[in-house]
Amino acid sequence: MIKLRQIDDYRWEIPREGKMRTRGLIFASQAMLTKIQEDQSLQQVANVATLPGIEGPSMAMPDIHWGYGFPIGGVAAFNLEEGVVSPGGVGYDINCGVRLLRTNLPREEVEPRVEDLVNTFFNNIPSGVGSRRKDLKLSMPTLKEVMRYGAGWGVKNGYGSQADLEHIEAAGQIPGADPEMVSQFAMDRGKDQLGTLGSGNHFVEVGYVLEVYDEKLAATLGLFKNQVTVIVHTGSRGLGHQVCDDYIKVMLRAADKYGIELPDRQLCCAPLTSPEGKQYLAAMAAAANFAFANRQMITHWVRESFEQVFHMGPKRLGLELVYDVAHNIAKVEEHEVNGKKKKLCVHRKGATRAFPPGHPEVPEVYRETGQPVLIPGDMGRYSFVLVGTQQALTETFGSTCHGAGREMSRHAALKMAKGRSIVRELAAKGIIVRGAGRATIDEEISEAYKDVEQVVNVTHGAGISKKVAKLKPLGVIKG
Amino acid sequence: MTPGRPAKYRQLSHTADLAWRIRGASLTELFENAGGALISTLTDRRFLRRSQVRDLTVDSPDLEALLVDWLNRLLYLFDVEGFLGREFKVVELSPQRLRARVRGDIFDPARHPEKTAVKAATYHHLEIKRTHRGWQATVILDL
Repeated sequence: MIKLRQIDDYRWEIPREGKMRTRGLIFASQAMLTKIQEDQSLQQVANVATLPGIEGPSMAMPDIHWGYGFPIGGVAAFNLEEGVVSPGGVGYDINCGVRLLRTNLPREEVEPRVEDLVNTFFNNIPSGVGSRRKDLKLSMPTLKEVMRYGAGWGVKNGYGSQADLEHIEAAGQIPGADPEMVSQFAMDRGKDQLGTLGSGNHFVEVGYVLEVYDEKLAATLGLFKNQVTVIVHTGSRGLGHQVCDDYIKVMLRAADKYGIELPDRQLCCAPLTSPEGKQYLAAMAAAANFAFANRQMITHWVRESFEQVFHMGPKRLGLELVYDVAHNIAKVEEHEVNGKKKKLCVHRKGATRAFPPGHPEVPEVYRETGQPVLIPGDMGRYSFVLVGTQQALTETFGSTCHGAGREMSRHAALKMAKGRSIVRELAAKGIIVRGAGRATIDEEISEAYKDVEQVVNVTHGAGISKKVAKLKPLGVIKG
Repeated sequence: MTPGRPAKYRQLSHTADLAWRIRGASLTELFENAGGALISTLTDRRFLRRSQVRDLTVDSPDLEALLVDWLNRLLYLFDVEGFLGREFKVVELSPQRLRARVRGDIFDPARHPEKTAVKAATYHHLEIKRTHRGWQATVILDL
C-alpha cells in the first residue's frame, strides 16, 4: 500500500521516494480515502511522479480512480525543455467535456413537458452504442476543416452563433491542430460520428438550479434559483479514441528511443521537444476541436428541440451557453513556477481547468468571477457549477475535479440493477431517463458513482474552486 | 458447456472499464475468443447473422500488441461500417501478424440489443501466457 501523509483536511501527500522525481498530492477527504485506496489509483499517482520534466507535484483530484497510466482525476505538468507528453495523461476520449446552457424558463414551465422534451432530444440527437449520422456525411476535406476550426466550424455552418465561442474554453479551438497528424483510420471513424452523443456516461440533461451558494457569482453567470438548465457531456467519439490508440503505439516506440524509463507501459510518452511529442499535440488538438464542434452541433439540436416542444423563439427561450470545459486534455499554458513565468504542458485527465478572476484566458464577461467550472454528477442526483480560484492557479496549475467518478464496476452495477426498473425508480423521483440501451442505464445507476457533492466539497474546502450553484436533473438522454 | 472446461472469456473486476480474462486451447482459439468477448460487450451475439464476411490482416510489433490491435481493428469496423463479428476464424497467426476471416452482421438497432460502448482495447495489464490447459490473456477495454 502507498504511504500517505496527511497535510490537512483536504490534502494528502505521497512522499517522494524511489524513482519519484516529485511528491504526489491528493485532494480528498478522510472519508473518501478508504475507497480510493481500494484500487491502484494512488500507485498511478506515484508512477506519474517518475516522469522526466515534471513540475510541481503529481496530483489527483477527489474524483480519482484507476485509469491507464495516469489515474482518472490526475493532473501533471511538464516543462517544455525536459518534459514529456503522454496520451495516457489525456485519455482515449480526447476533449471529453461538458457544457452548460441556461434558459429564461423556470422549472414550473418545463416540468410538465419534460417527457416530450426528452423524446425530442432522443429524436434529434443520435446516441447509443452504434451512433452514426446517416444524414450528415462528412467529406474528408470538411472533416479536416472541423479539426482545424472546432466550434468555429460549427458556427460558420449554422450551428449556434459567434457569441457561443466566447463562452467555450480556448474559444472552442485549440491552437496548433494539424489534421495531417490524424490517421486515415481515425478520420474514417470520425467521419460519420460528428454530431452524435455516443454512449457510456455521455448524456444530455435538462435540469434546474436547485440551490444557489453565491448570489453575486450566480448572477454574473446568468443563473438563478429554479431556472431550467441543460448539460451536454460528450467528447471526440471514435476519432479521438483512434488518435489516442495510434499515438500510444508511437509513444511506446518513442519511450524506448529516448530512453525514458516507464514503471507502467501505459505511461508511454515522448519529450515535448521531439517530433513524436509535437505530432501528438497537433493530433490531440485536432481531435479536441472535433469534440468542440460536436458539442456545438448538439447544442444546436438542443435549442431546436426546445423550440419544437415549447413553440417559443430563441429570444424567449434564452438558451445561452454559460461555458464549455474540456476534462481530458493536455494544454500548453503559462504558469508561475518558483516566481518565474514558465510554459508548461499541463495534462488533465478527468480534471478541469479552473482559472481565477483576472486571468487573461477567462472570457471578459467572467473576468471578475473566475472561469466557470461544470461538474456533472450521476443521473439520479445533482451536478454543480463552480468558478476557478487563485488558489487553484497557485497550487494545481489551475485545475480541479471533473465529476463524480465511478466507484463500482459495470458488472457490479448490472448486478445491483438486476430485477429493478431503473427508469421507473428515477421517474418516481421526478427524473425522466431515456437511453438507447437498457444496459447503459443499468450500468450508470447512482450507486455506481461517488457522491459528486462530496467531491465538489473537497475542492471547495481546499479552495481550488468555489461553489456557485447546484443543479438537479429533470430529464436525461443517455447513449 | 462441458463441466470442468473453463469459459472462453469472463469479466474481471474493474471500476470504470471492462477487464476480460480470455482462454483458448491454442493461440488461434485465444484470439478468436477475444473477438467474441469484444463483440459480446457491444451486443448480444446470438442476434447476429452470418451474412457478411471480412478478411482482415493485422500487423504489430509483438503478440500482446497484436491482440490489442486485433480488437481495435474490430472496433474500427464497427464504427465505420457497423460490422459486428459472429464467427471468428484465425487463418494465420505469428507474433507479428494475424490474418482472420470474420463472418458477421451489420448493426441494426432494431435487431441488435445495445449493450456497452467500447472506446478501445488498451495495453493496461495486458498479458498473454501459457497455462496447463492452453493459453490465457487479460485485456482491459476502455469504456
